[in-house]
Amino acid sequence: MSTVDYTQELSVIEGKPPLRELDDLISKPIDAKPTKKFFIALTISGSMLSLLVIGLGLTFYYGIGMWGNNIPVGWAFDITNFVFWVGIGHAGTLISAILFLLRQKWRTGIARFAEGMTIFAVMTAGLFPLIHVGRPWLAAYLFPYPNQHSIWVNFDSPLLWDVFAVSTYFIVSLIFWYVGLIPDFATLRERTNNKIKKITYSIFGLGWRFSNKHWQHYEMVYLILAGFATPLVLSVHTIVSFDFAVSIMPGWHATIFPPYFVAGAVFSGFAMVQNVLIIVRKIFNYEHIITLDTLEKMNKIMLLTGSMVGYAYAMEFFIAWYSGLPIERFTFINRAFGSYAWAYWVMISCNVISPQLFWFKKIRRTIPVMFIIAIFVNIGMWFERFVIIVSSLSRDFLPSSWHLYTPTYVDFMILIGSFGFFFTWLLLFTKALPVVSMAEVKATVTGSQPSHKDH
Amino acid sequence: MSNSSIEYIKKELSPKVRTIGSALFVAGLIIVVLGYITDPVRSAYNNIVGLTFLISVGVGSLFLLTLEYVAGAVWSTPFRRVTEFLAANIYLIPLLAIPLLLNVNTIFQWTHPEPADKTLINKAPYLNVTFFIVRVALFWLIWLCFYFFISKNSVKQDTSRDQSLTKLNIKLSTIFIPLFAITISFAAIDWLMSLSPKWFSTIFGVYYFSGTVLAALAAGTIFIVLLNEKGYFVKGLSSNHYYSLGALLFAFTNFWAYIAFSQYLLIWYANLPEETTWFIVRWQGSWKIISIGLVFVHFLIPYFGLLSQPSKMNPKRLLWMSGWILFAHYYDLYWMTMPNFGKDGVVLGWIELGFPLLIAGLIMLVFNFKAKSQNLVSIGDPKLKRGIDFRL
Amino acid sequence: MMSEKILYSYTGIFDTPDQIIHATEKAVEAGYTKYDVNTPYPLHGMDKAMKLKPSKLGYVALVFGLSGTLATILTIWWMSAIDYPIVIGGKPLFSFPAYVPIVFEVTVLSAAIMTVVSMLFFFFKLPNNSHPLHGTEYMKKVSADKYGISIQADDPKFNESSVKKFLESVHASEIIPIYWDEEEVNHKNKILEPKFIIFLLVVAVITSGVTYFSFNQLMYMVPFNWMMDQPKLSAQQQSPVFADGFGMRQPVAGTIARGDMIYQFTGQPDLAGVKLVNPIPISKESLQLGQVKFDIYCSPCHGYNADGASRLRGQFPNPPSLHSDKVRNWSDGRIFAVVTEGQNTMPSYSSQLSFDERWAVINYLRALQRALNAKESDVQ
Repeated sequence: MSTVDYTQELSVIEGKPPLRELDDLISKPIDAKPTKKFFIALTISGSMLSLLVIGLGLTFYYGIGMWGNNIPVGWAFDITNFVFWVGIGHAGTLISAILFLLRQKWRTGIARFAEGMTIFAVMTAGLFPLIHVGRPWLAAYLFPYPNQHSIWVNFDSPLLWDVFAVSTYFIVSLIFWYVGLIPDFATLRERTNNKIKKITYSIFGLGWRFSNKHWQHYEMVYLILAGFATPLVLSVHTIVSFDFAVSIMPGWHATIFPPYFVAGAVFSGFAMVQNVLIIVRKIFNYEHIITLDTLEKMNKIMLLTGSMVGYAYAMEFFIAWYSGLPIERFTFINRAFGSYAWAYWVMISCNVISPQLFWFKKIRRTIPVMFIIAIFVNIGMWFERFVIIVSSLSRDFLPSSWHLYTPTYVDFMILIGSFGFFFTWLLLFTKALPVVSMAEVKATVTGSQPSHKDH
Repeated sequence: MSNSSIEYIKKELSPKVRTIGSALFVAGLIIVVLGYITDPVRSAYNNIVGLTFLISVGVGSLFLLTLEYVAGAVWSTPFRRVTEFLAANIYLIPLLAIPLLLNVNTIFQWTHPEPADKTLINKAPYLNVTFFIVRVALFWLIWLCFYFFISKNSVKQDTSRDQSLTKLNIKLSTIFIPLFAITISFAAIDWLMSLSPKWFSTIFGVYYFSGTVLAALAAGTIFIVLLNEKGYFVKGLSSNHYYSLGALLFAFTNFWAYIAFSQYLLIWYANLPEETTWFIVRWQGSWKIISIGLVFVHFLIPYFGLLSQPSKMNPKRLLWMSGWILFAHYYDLYWMTMPNFGKDGVVLGWIELGFPLLIAGLIMLVFNFKAKSQNLVSIGDPKLKRGIDFRL
Repeated sequence: MMSEKILYSYTGIFDTPDQIIHATEKAVEAGYTKYDVNTPYPLHGMDKAMKLKPSKLGYVALVFGLSGTLATILTIWWMSAIDYPIVIGGKPLFSFPAYVPIVFEVTVLSAAIMTVVSMLFFFFKLPNNSHPLHGTEYMKKVSADKYGISIQADDPKFNESSVKKFLESVHASEIIPIYWDEEEVNHKNKILEPKFIIFLLVVAVITSGVTYFSFNQLMYMVPFNWMMDQPKLSAQQQSPVFADGFGMRQPVAGTIARGDMIYQFTGQPDLAGVKLVNPIPISKESLQLGQVKFDIYCSPCHGYNADGASRLRGQFPNPPSLHSDKVRNWSDGRIFAVVTEGQNTMPSYSSQLSFDERWAVINYLRALQRALNAKESDVQ
């Protein structure tokens, strides 16, 4: 057991690599030709993506009847997947924005990648409200543009709040990501000799000159964006939780849903980010940038948010009993012992039990084990949304309306395909853009900042 | 890097602290006693407001203490002792709780449900006097134990400079935090939510928690800023430290507003009679003004007061805002509790002054008492130098 | 063409952060004002060293954020409470708690977009890829791992040799002069360059073509038109199912609609007057219903007080007052016959008023008649 010396600051980047080395290391995947491994990975994700395309094609052509949705289970895989993917997105913003506000320097190695994951996750998530409406080509109806329908959109509906929330989240995340990329585009512009690349980087880099007069405003705007992105992240998943919580369905209508969903989103998001980062650092040799300390901190956050999710489960259960309402009590007993009990217990073991293993330092710092735990967490969090949606809907107020739900092959194609969509974008990202922020990483290497004489 | 280069001279607190504290305490005590004699039920409700406020400051400070340990924060190390002194108020909880425990039957409807009231009777396995008292005692013991050992280690470290004490405190803190989550939630449910025994809200524990953290931060900030301006801590603390305090106050103000609004919106939207009663009571007569006032007092004023970067670093602004936020938390607890007593309108009179004065006095006296025997700065803490050098 | 290279600035390259901070402080001391520092990432303390005033972008964010808040609240209020008000879930027309999520989101969105746009386009005047520093060795270095200071030639204290000396005195590892690029100097920026105009035209043509095709053609093609062309029978549509091709059918002979009654006195109003008895007693509800229906259906011709003060402005002949002795002496059933079948210019109101509603109207009429012919005993 190594003893920690609390008088010393933990270094973020291991060792003290020269700055140019960092530039070279991070630009390498972009400059080099794609390897065979890359093409194999792309083929796999591409095939999964094609499943999505086929599934969506069938859905558009023949309608929602291709899915297993029925009355009363009007929402099933579609909204489960939507909430799942939006949740994944939240880890990215938390890492880049919230950890920035908390001055946690260990975010530098992972922020760019995490933000990229956010954007792709939100894009994936955005597919689902779009396709579950039946006539997705009329999706523009959701926006309050001047029209001749003699009716405006329903501002009282949480589904509309979702439209604004997810759009805003996507746009602001994109802006935040892009602003962070500007200096890196400029660095790449200066490094490259390829004419087309030079023009591309010049366009996207906007001609950034690394002037300190600009850095000053840049840092303020970065802080402001981080300051906005933080409540944004909280608000987006809160609004997603409102989809359920504003209803009167037992099991859906619980005041704790907003913070519970946000904690759950961060929880599942971190699990996905951790999984992807473990792969990335291995493939690109970024072990000294994305350090074991960083991974350990991420696991601690998973432990924290997983416990918050567990708290929410317990509180819901207790208050359902405390309320004395027979329907509330039934809903929770049904979750644990009804037709979907198997899903419930998968959820509990994956979400409540497995992250508790992170109390042990050894486990927090062992890569294969933490990888598996994070996979379980993702599975568990998918099932949590499934349990909330399907178990409540299939057993709502009138027993004569009760009906179970069975997914169809199209449902599965779309679920698997959504992962293909996400990972394809991610793979292309690793080849097109620097996955670690060059400017930020260089700024946190030991010795990269002036020594504070009397500042 | 040792801390021997850090200069700390222990200054005695000004005797004013003791005098003002005693004066407030005595004045408060007189009003409270008179209140109990003249209108015991109303005083009992005030007692609940006072008790939950004291728990917020005391247990909230313990939470902040443990959070600092677990998160590995360094910026707060130079004045962590202030938080420890505020956490010592946990000792006083029985003082305010016992008059209530002797009075449960007057305040809590669930102690004597009508025989036909099936809903209330169904809650009896949880809402019964024995279990209630057991919970109050158990929670207090848990809080006390952790406070005792964590502060003992911290004080021991002043002389021993042993880094393993920090490690031990981190371990204790990590265990405390989940226990805190459970105990503070159920304390809120017991003392506040069960006043309306037919009402329920899953977020209630989180709501009380959000106010608690704010109150603890605000109380800490007042002492830290006042004492720092008079040079009681070590040299080298800068506006960066103030900024962190200001930023936390700002952030948790937003968090409180978020939780409060979530609770309100969901209940308003679904419009279920079993849930809306709580808010409807707070919209009757003059309670309407208090409810609207809550938005301004607890959210809008602190929000705009702490929005700009300079305001977060300004000691005067921090003092005013912290004082205001403490008032806002009391206001919040009052708004939660008193409508159960005065259903038609606001009850505000001399009785309501009793507990605030009493508790303000107690906090000052406890602080003074602790400052006599312990250092105001944790000079043995290995993170102290990093904490002083902290820059954003 | 012989062109003199015009000097833009003299730059110094430094290897460590401490050196560049020191150099900057010395440059400020020396009184240079038109200079800049270039670093691959922001250095702590450089803003202070350059004595830069704090950035005002925070105010931009605040202003645009609050404008977004206000604009959203006003827009939603107008759309929900004024322009097309619909009562949703029993909530008030302006249900503010429900609007908070959207108002918040738009606040953040407008603040974020406008702050970044202001910063890039107004504060930085980017995009700008033709600055003299672009494409220089200096830029290559400061974008990677070196720190640089650039003292511009148009600084009042600028003097080539003194600047070189200054840079040597602060230990610059390299001193590089930067010249304006000839093309950039001679180039006049016009906004209406031919390439740009062609680009705009192409975009316009493509956009309008795609829009036209999508909205006017594609939406009417399979499968997008499937909900428009539904296989159900709409009103006034032809139908191949029936021999006469009409989609709209009469009710089957010998049947009446559920809840309906048969009127047995067609063409025999006097017989109806004798045989039909008003089954609805005069009550508050009946009179209220009667009043509502009378005001809607009868008053345009008969007037609100049944005195014949019609509002038809001569399009139809005014009916006689219903307070005449003749009408007052008619039985309820006789009046019922008139309402059911019509009389002279008055059409039948059997499709507008159900049986019960007609009786209610008659009750109300009786009340009106009594009101205009009140006896003293009525007042007691």
